[in-house]
Amino acid sequence: MAVESPPTIGEPVLRWSARAHSIGEIENELARIWSSQDLSTDMDGQPGRHIAARTSVMNLVVVARRPELAERSAATIQALTGRHPSRTIVIQSADPDGPSWLDARVEAHCVLPREDAPETCAETIHITCGGEAGHHLAAIATPLIVHDLPVTVWWPGEPPLRTRAAQDLLGTADRLVVDGSSWSGDGLDKLRDMASLQDSGRLAISDFALVRQSRWREAIASIFDDPDFLPYLRSLRRIAVTYGTHDETGAPGSTNLVKPIYHVGWLASRLGLSVTKPLAPVAGQGTAASGARGTRAGSRPAAPGRPIMGRGLVATLSDGRSEVAVVARPVVSVMPAGTTLRVELLAERRGSELRADVTAEAETVHVRVWQDGVEAWDRRFRAPRRTEVDLLAEAIESGRRDPVAVGALRSAAALVGPGGGRA
Amino acid sequence: MASGRSKGAVVAPPVDPAAVDPEQPIPARPSPRAKDAPRTMKDLRLSHQNRKSSKAKPIENVLREGLRLERVPDPSILVLFGGTGDLAHRKVIPALYQLWRTNLLPHEFMMLAIGRRPYDDESFRRDIRASLDQFSRVLPIETDVWQSFAERITYQHLDFTDPAGFDGLATRLESIDEERGTRGNRLYYLATQPSQFAEIAGQLGRVGLDHELHDGGWRRIVIEKPFGHDSESARRLNREVGKVFRESQVYRIDHYLGKETVRNLLVFRFGNGIFEPLWNRRYVDNVQITVAESIGIENRGAFYEETGASRDVLQNHLLQLVSLVAMEPPARFEADALRDEKVKVLRAISNAPEDVTEGVVRGQYGPGWVAATQVPGYRTEPDVDPASETETFVAARLMIDDWRWSGVPFYVRTGKRLPKRATEIAIQYREVPHRLFKDEGVEPDANLLAIRIQPDEGIMLRFGAKVPGLGLDVRSVTMDFTYGSAFSVDSPDAYETLILDALQGDASLFTRADEVEEAWSIVDPIIESWADGPAPDFPNYDAGSWGPAAADELLAREGRRWRRI
Repeated sequence: MAVESPPTIGEPVLRWSARAHSIGEIENELARIWSSQDLSTDMDGQPGRHIAARTSVMNLVVVARRPELAERSAATIQALTGRHPSRTIVIQSADPDGPSWLDARVEAHCVLPREDAPETCAETIHITCGGEAGHHLAAIATPLIVHDLPVTVWWPGEPPLRTRAAQDLLGTADRLVVDGSSWSGDGLDKLRDMASLQDSGRLAISDFALVRQSRWREAIASIFDDPDFLPYLRSLRRIAVTYGTHDETGAPGSTNLVKPIYHVGWLASRLGLSVTKPLAPVAGQGTAASGARGTRAGSRPAAPGRPIMGRGLVATLSDGRSEVAVVARPVVSVMPAGTTLRVELLAERRGSELRADVTAEAETVHVRVWQDGVEAWDRRFRAPRRTEVDLLAEAIESGRRDPVAVGALRSAAALVGPGGGRA
Repeated sequence: MASGRSKGAVVAPPVDPAAVDPEQPIPARPSPRAKDAPRTMKDLRLSHQNRKSSKAKPIENVLREGLRLERVPDPSILVLFGGTGDLAHRKVIPALYQLWRTNLLPHEFMMLAIGRRPYDDESFRRDIRASLDQFSRVLPIETDVWQSFAERITYQHLDFTDPAGFDGLATRLESIDEERGTRGNRLYYLATQPSQFAEIAGQLGRVGLDHELHDGGWRRIVIEKPFGHDSESARRLNREVGKVFRESQVYRIDHYLGKETVRNLLVFRFGNGIFEPLWNRRYVDNVQITVAESIGIENRGAFYEETGASRDVLQNHLLQLVSLVAMEPPARFEADALRDEKVKVLRAISNAPEDVTEGVVRGQYGPGWVAATQVPGYRTEPDVDPASETETFVAARLMIDDWRWSGVPFYVRTGKRLPKRATEIAIQYREVPHRLFKDEGVEPDANLLAIRIQPDEGIMLRFGAKVPGLGLDVRSVTMDFTYGSAFSVDSPDAYETLILDALQGDASLFTRADEVEEAWSIVDPIIESWADGPAPDFPNYDAGSWGPAAADELLAREGRRWRRI
């Protein structure tokens, strides 16, 4: 049914809402929206502000396994209605062991971009599936996808990348959007799964965790714009990333490591460094199996073979001639766990040393450089925190695969190694 | 370059004077080779391999790869001459605010506004804030953003003719560098009267503010159009500025080049495979470029009396659009490669006497109605000579004598008080070679590709389609792309694009000295032919019309007409 509301510039307005209980009914409702004359609104008593149906940009499939994720995703997408008109399909599962059923709400939201422009509209289909039907994501999404348009799958929460359901759905997609920094545990297993997925096909992957670091990358790259420092770039000897944790004991899996590892992955991929020793606990530190210091009362016991990360992880990279030491070091912090606090680079060249220290401050990234112990550079980069709306917009605005993201993920996965960072 | 030479490297043979003397016969035998010179392909390959190993690899900042869009300019001071003027308040400062708001300016950024009025920092900031409330592209102004931006604005009173003032300016800039970490990087933005450009550049040179520093402190100067009022004055200005700044330091702004659709023209042409093959004399019948304004001269009578439509728009905006449409693909997407190709187009435009006299129409508006409002004629506008011969409209038929465009007329027109504000490039394709459907109702128009620059930026392609039904009627339909519907993200203002490019040292969208001079060499003969001829019969078009009848005749005599916009 059509919903009458006065337009307000920039504010999405619900213009159509209907319910459906099968894919066929959804398709019928979608056809009705744009053939309905009710979508024109009165302007000063005159019929006819033209409403443009806008489904010509992309398909966005959101897999939200939990109701709160579905709500949050819907709010984010609604904020993007005017900016990225797309056919959005939000799929949520319920009662997986019950009988199969499908309940859908088909909506059209419209935005008035400016006073003299027609409203632009986008369709959102909220689908809740029960029972076996909820396991077959591709079978739900594929019939509803507008053909010839790119398909982006946004998977907030924990994407089960190894499952058949996920692989079938992602097989029809052009881009996967995730937030690796929200994954449970250290997130390194999923990082490796995601890299496998990337290398097995043409899927482009946008990880909010990596996108959020763009100003860090800009800040680090800017150091070597200086011709005096550039020669050191190929002579890195050490990369150390300090990240925040809330767990003083450093129990395994207590802190998400995706963001710190992405920093190293990016540097390694750009500099052509290969992994000679994947991430492992700092030497001299015990593992859960050896009974070293570890879990505090009430916390999850460490699995055999997992490192105690109180002193962090180390790895070794190589450019074929010399080695680059990598350290990922936890520090108890009030910042969200897994947040990068500092990236330190050490380079040595012909007896001369360059040390760079990149730290996070309130809304800036602060870069300082010392050449042979003398401070040679001090600069701040503005880096305000970006919202999920900004990140999703950037992810879906990306065209093809971003070589920076591809390389960073691949190198990050290589760092994690077959043991998942617990070698 | 490394000076060491590895064992087995190619050694140049000693120069034989006879070998380089063209008067001497060619020797029967080749010159003797050096003992270890390579003789076979294998020798050559091995010698190159040896050479490679001894060569230092060119060093690049590989961390930059893929980060282009995120790049922030170096810490810098933007020194805004004419900081109290209209251009500064309406365009430059709102653009800077928007760049700051979107985190595209460096943290260590300062704007030093220079003007003759007696402001202090606080009173100047108050004025800026009032202007932003009126002219900012995004309103309302965000308090936090404004506060951090305002901290980076400072004002200096300076009379441009006072040499001592420039000495003080040099001292002030040094102290800002020290206090704010701006590292000697400066962008001098001349938003002043054009007559002051040379004076300011000269004074900057006198006090050494043009010198780029060895440790990376760059110095650039931005000049606003008009760049002279004829070839001679343009050359003189280039010479005066060139005495102080190298060409690579000079950024001449034609703000049309910063418009999103103009930039998209390059992407459209060279980023798509299907259009460029049809972009030549074989398929294109004619090209029409219109820059129409519905407004009059807006209290700029004195200025406009000295410029007219030819100097105000034809010499810069229109010829820039012509060169972008007609240019060959540059080898690389970089400033000089692009500008080389644009200059070639300007050089290829015929200025034969018959093209100048018969291919150009001028006009001046009389009273009329525009947008349901009665407006006065040009001669009754303030500060305008009641017998003025200044043209407010010009249309020209330009012929580009090169391989691609020979025989294809480029019709260009611009004018004041036309029915609507519209800038558009229309590529009119040839008719189909054989009219298959001529007996079936209305024959469709030839294909047309229209690139709308303002308003409603977008691209439209017109083609014929069968009308549904049992017959075989054909009608023209359009495929229409509008920026507003495909990308709801606001396009940046042209000044935002251009200022950011200047801060980043990218001159691709700025006009080079030789481009300016070539453009004047096209316009000069037109103005001279008018000066040599009788007084024009002005006014010759009503405000609110599409210009004088002669502009229509310019096309009609070749069996064409202006596209209805």
